[in-house]
Amino acid sequence: MTDAMSLGRSTSGEADAPLPRPTGGPAIAQRSAAPAAARSVPAFRGLRAVLANRKARIALMILVPIRVLTALLPWLPLQAPLQTNLRAMMKPPSFTFPFGTDRMGRDVLSRTLEGVKVSLFVGFSVAFISLVFGIVLGTVSGFFGKVVDRAIMTVVDIFLAFPSLLLAIGLVSIVGTGLVPVIMAIALADIPRFIRLQRSLVLGLRSRAYIDAARTVRASQWWLLSRHVVPNTIASLLVAASIAAANAILVEASLSFLGLGIMPPEPSLGNLIRDGQTYLEQAWWISTLPGVVILAIAISLHFLSDGIREVLDPRSRK
Amino acid sequence: MLAFVLKKFAQLFVTTLGVVTLVFFTLRLIPGDAASAMAGDSLSGEALERLREQMGLTQPLMTQYATYLKSLLVLDFGQTITTGLSVYDLMKSALPITLLIALSTIVITVVAAIPLGTLAAFMAHKGRKGLDNLITGTAMVLDLMPSFWTGLVFLLFFSLTLRWFPASGDVDMSDPFSVLHRLALPVLVLAVTQIATMARITRTAVLEVLGEDYIRTARSLGWSELRVLFRHALKNAALPIVTVIGLSFGSLLNGTVIVEFIFNIPGIGSLLVNGINSRDYQMVQNLIIFYALIFVTINFATDIIYRKLDPRVTF
Repeated sequence: MTDAMSLGRSTSGEADAPLPRPTGGPAIAQRSAAPAAARSVPAFRGLRAVLANRKARIALMILVPIRVLTALLPWLPLQAPLQTNLRAMMKPPSFTFPFGTDRMGRDVLSRTLEGVKVSLFVGFSVAFISLVFGIVLGTVSGFFGKVVDRAIMTVVDIFLAFPSLLLAIGLVSIVGTGLVPVIMAIALADIPRFIRLQRSLVLGLRSRAYIDAARTVRASQWWLLSRHVVPNTIASLLVAASIAAANAILVEASLSFLGLGIMPPEPSLGNLIRDGQTYLEQAWWISTLPGVVILAIAISLHFLSDGIREVLDPRSRK
Repeated sequence: MLAFVLKKFAQLFVTTLGVVTLVFFTLRLIPGDAASAMAGDSLSGEALERLREQMGLTQPLMTQYATYLKSLLVLDFGQTITTGLSVYDLMKSALPITLLIALSTIVITVVAAIPLGTLAAFMAHKGRKGLDNLITGTAMVLDLMPSFWTGLVFLLFFSLTLRWFPASGDVDMSDPFSVLHRLALPVLVLAVTQIATMARITRTAVLEVLGEDYIRTARSLGWSELRVLFRHALKNAALPIVTVIGLSFGSLLNGTVIVEFIFNIPGIGSLLVNGINSRDYQMVQNLIIFYALIFVTINFATDIIYRKLDPRVTF
């Protein structure tokens, strides 16, 4: 990240230079290792192109401050998340308690921020795990085909037969509640979708001319996959991954809300909202305000995904 | 067409068998079997052993699997571990409620979302961005609202503040008015998300079609805009819309679990959540399989309808 930023400064003189080839096509495959060419390292060019996109910028302008606030939580002038305060029970939102307090006088805002930290962790872990498994199994399935493909796709179809939240519920009932089991359950429900996506991307690439060209010069399978096939699917996978992160955050919140996800005292936006459900009539703020934060995060992640897509495929811009 | 249906049916069969097998063997991986879950701490080693034998848990795994498949075929879902009630009876009384919620949501969604999406597409096509942006923007926000949160907000507003609908109480299926009164809010909560999703898809599908030559031809023939829009554009945009109705059934099933929990409705979703909380694997196992079955059957139907609408489709 810091590299990318210093890079941004050192090349700011060329800000008006034409944008890098936005297709994420073969450009990424021609990664150059020479440090002299660092400013044109495609990954960084891609990052700059994404930052130049309006939707992606809006998304980051919401996500980054939220993440920074959660990191600064101990130093903010807020009551600690677990601290009870019997003199301020069920107080409506005010200057001292921007989101109000709950039945035990705990500060809803600091609890929400604590929950956001967990949500973002769940979102990114699930996206990362699904991405890794999706790339490996999807590439194998799409590139090698035949029996392996059949086997993998049969299993994928079986997993896709369950509605996603219900599969996560079923898995959680087996692996138990808590942060790690929830991440595993949601990821397991997501991986088949990524395998499918990666498989179809690889199938589309397999007959491209530059793959044939590489084959003609007797490139090894490994070279083909690591240099030409996988790099050209990463961009589309990132679009899907940022939606998967938003989805994972919503599923985790739903599970915790049902009492099947992350259990108190471990904070989570879902169980925070569940806590407030009992007092909905007397203290509406406990349940509703954390929900607004979930919504903001989900919308930002979708904007980010739209942003990445627009950079990849300028035609999709309206 | 028949060959196509048969092929799809064979796939449906394989997937269903896979689902049942997966659930059966996964549940056998849990530490502590059904007998110890059922007995809790109340039984000693010897009595527990006897119970195990009674439940057939001492037989070889494959025998148990075969017995299980046979019992599923005759709709014998066994008894709940905790209360000893027949799972089949419980499901029979809960299913109509859940189905009613799901089906009314679909009807409301189709009636509201297709005109809205078509309107947005029409406005976008005419270059009048204002209304289009309003509809698409609202749809995006509504689409991403977690349904449990929407549920609570609606509960707060319509039940607790305005007092229009009760927040809990029995669902008496023989009294249509009480059913309507009780299920209106949950259906509304689900419909909000579903309408948002489908309106967005409809907009994209219709907008794409509006640029086609045959639409220009229809206009040049002097047909009215409305006729062009609904007779020509919407008809050709029907394929993606049908697919989405089928696919969104999954998220609809997810949603019924949530709204049944929030509004205390005794449907299949409540059975599931209660089953998990009381560690009633017999119940959970059957319910999860049941949800998967509904979902694959709907997908099967979608494939068939898709093929019927577009004979060019080969799978």
